[in-house]
Amino acid sequence: MMLETYREIYFHPRTQFITIDTSGNVLESDDILFKLKKGDDISSVSLFFKGLSAYFDVDEENDIKFTCIHLENNDRQEYTCDIEFKTFAGAQPTLIIIHDFSEHYKYYQEVAQSRNESVINSQILELKNKYLKEKEDFKNTFIANFSHELRNPLTGVTAFCSVLQKTDMTPEQQDYVEVIKSSADHLRNMIGDILEVSKIEVGKLSLHEELFDFHELIDMLEFTYSVKAKQKNIEFEIDFDEKIPRYIESDKTRIKQILENLIENALKFTSSGKITVLIKENQRRARKVNLSISVQDTGIGIPDEKLVLIFNSFTQLNNSRKFVGTGLGLSIVKGLVELMDGKITVESKVKEGSTFKININLRYPINQEATYLETKSDVERKNYLSKEKYNILLAEDSELAQMAVLKILAQEGNFFLDIITNGEDVIESVIHNEYDMILMDIRMPGTHGDELTKMIRSLPVQNCKTIPILALTANLYDADKKRYKKMGMNDIIEKPFDESTLLKKIYKHLK
Amino acid sequence: MKKASKKIILLGHFGVGKSSLIRQFVENTFTSDYKVTIGVHILKKEVEISPDETISLIIWDLEGYDDIKKTRASYLLGTHGFIYVFDVTRPATFENLENDITYLTNQYANTPLKVVGNKVDLVTKTYLKENKDMFGVAPDFFTSAKTGDKVDDMFIALAKELVK
Repeated sequence: MMLETYREIYFHPRTQFITIDTSGNVLESDDILFKLKKGDDISSVSLFFKGLSAYFDVDEENDIKFTCIHLENNDRQEYTCDIEFKTFAGAQPTLIIIHDFSEHYKYYQEVAQSRNESVINSQILELKNKYLKEKEDFKNTFIANFSHELRNPLTGVTAFCSVLQKTDMTPEQQDYVEVIKSSADHLRNMIGDILEVSKIEVGKLSLHEELFDFHELIDMLEFTYSVKAKQKNIEFEIDFDEKIPRYIESDKTRIKQILENLIENALKFTSSGKITVLIKENQRRARKVNLSISVQDTGIGIPDEKLVLIFNSFTQLNNSRKFVGTGLGLSIVKGLVELMDGKITVESKVKEGSTFKININLRYPINQEATYLETKSDVERKNYLSKEKYNILLAEDSELAQMAVLKILAQEGNFFLDIITNGEDVIESVIHNEYDMILMDIRMPGTHGDELTKMIRSLPVQNCKTIPILALTANLYDADKKRYKKMGMNDIIEKPFDESTLLKKIYKHLK
Repeated sequence: MKKASKKIILLGHFGVGKSSLIRQFVENTFTSDYKVTIGVHILKKEVEISPDETISLIIWDLEGYDDIKKTRASYLLGTHGFIYVFDVTRPATFENLENDITYLTNQYANTPLKVVGNKVDLVTKTYLKENKDMFGVAPDFFTSAKTGDKVDDMFIALAKELVK
């Protein structure tokens, strides 16, 4: 008895049954969802049925099911329904069953909305990252190529300044040459900085560990920067912990660069007061010494809100152009410190000064007493040469570079120089002449220098396997350097080169 | 005046702008808020294809799928024309374009089909020109549901084909 009552209270049927004739007009309807009169066009319920008109007069058994169809009743109330469309054989009327699953589909809609949004957002994010990366790669490749193109003409300036300085000049002329040389050096350093940052940003910079005298490096820095500071009338002091191992195994050039950049930065922004460099040993563990290095100045300082920007590329907080530079120094320092698994932080107060602090681990040989460094310089080797004159082949298409090498070697008086400007002629010349060394440009018309080296190494001619071949190049990415070595080149002379760099490398490889 | 009723279906991945294209065509409106379509919404628009001929387009806006073969077969019953929509900015929506179009043309050889690259307002003309090979199939139209660019042209071109 009660069951019937409960059914009346709680049972809300959500399924409508409709029969239609062969023209799609309503025969009967229980009107559970849609109010219909006999003879109404079923398409008045929804446009959905218009698409099924071809099936209204089918005289066979059919059961077509549709899910998740959005319908609207006369009161503009929306339903999301599953629809069954049943036709029968023997002229029986077609049956349409509409199941209202609005609640269920509402939940499904929410799930699908959040799933689709998350997929679309992640695809967009992925694309944005891809575009950013492409943009970044383009920037870095552009910078690398651009720096290369700038380095080449600089070779001419730097090398000829060295040559010019050795000619008869009045003191006034010598001053002029000195200005040209120092400007060229400055330009070379800036180009170097730009190239360095692009290498760090694409992860193409690697460290080259070597054994070196850390104490000597610090002494040298103290000497250099005491002079520079004196010129600006500021005090300079390095407080160095003498307990720190003398010999360190690390990338000397990069450590020097980190310290120089930080001190240069302090010098640039300090007009009075003092710069203090503190280098302290914290602890030693497993052949590694942990150092705290800080560079403190009494300069203009950095506002709090700008501290986060200080290590970004091309950032110079003071835009007054009073302070020259590329704004890359600190970005390079951070990149290098992190490459060495170190940490760099900065503390600063406006008008009081800044302190840059580095914490870094450096490897050192346990037995310091038994460690020694070969100190004989490469140029000194010329005193030990076995021949009076050496035949050198220069394969180089740039006339500026040819003249620079010619002038520098002519002054030495130890060399005969053959010059070839085209890659194709190099092999021919190597076969017919006995050279003591080949200086090889990389980007030459015809075959590139590294390819030529590989060919020379495989020639069945005496000494082709052993003749020193040195690359002359401004392509200085690690991948390039590795390739030159792999192709059989003995060493690299970086463009732009000056007299001493060129001679040092040549004497190093002559027997 | 002749008046026919034709069912057309919009297919393609989710989020490519199928519902927005229809809304732009039927109601001349656009909203950038994405609202997922589940199942199917059906809308109608009368299109005058010549001074003495009007066609009533019954447009089925289908839920987007990443695989066209997942589309419920019953939805496609009695379809007179297809519009396949992809998003020119999202490769995931046109990675399978060539296969999907081959599938449709094989299964529904005599049913007119328009391939549409939507959201062109988000890219430059140069981008489209330089990347046209990237889509795998040359689209019939590049549209923007946002600005309405080429939306009417695309629907009307299909409508005209339906009465040929």
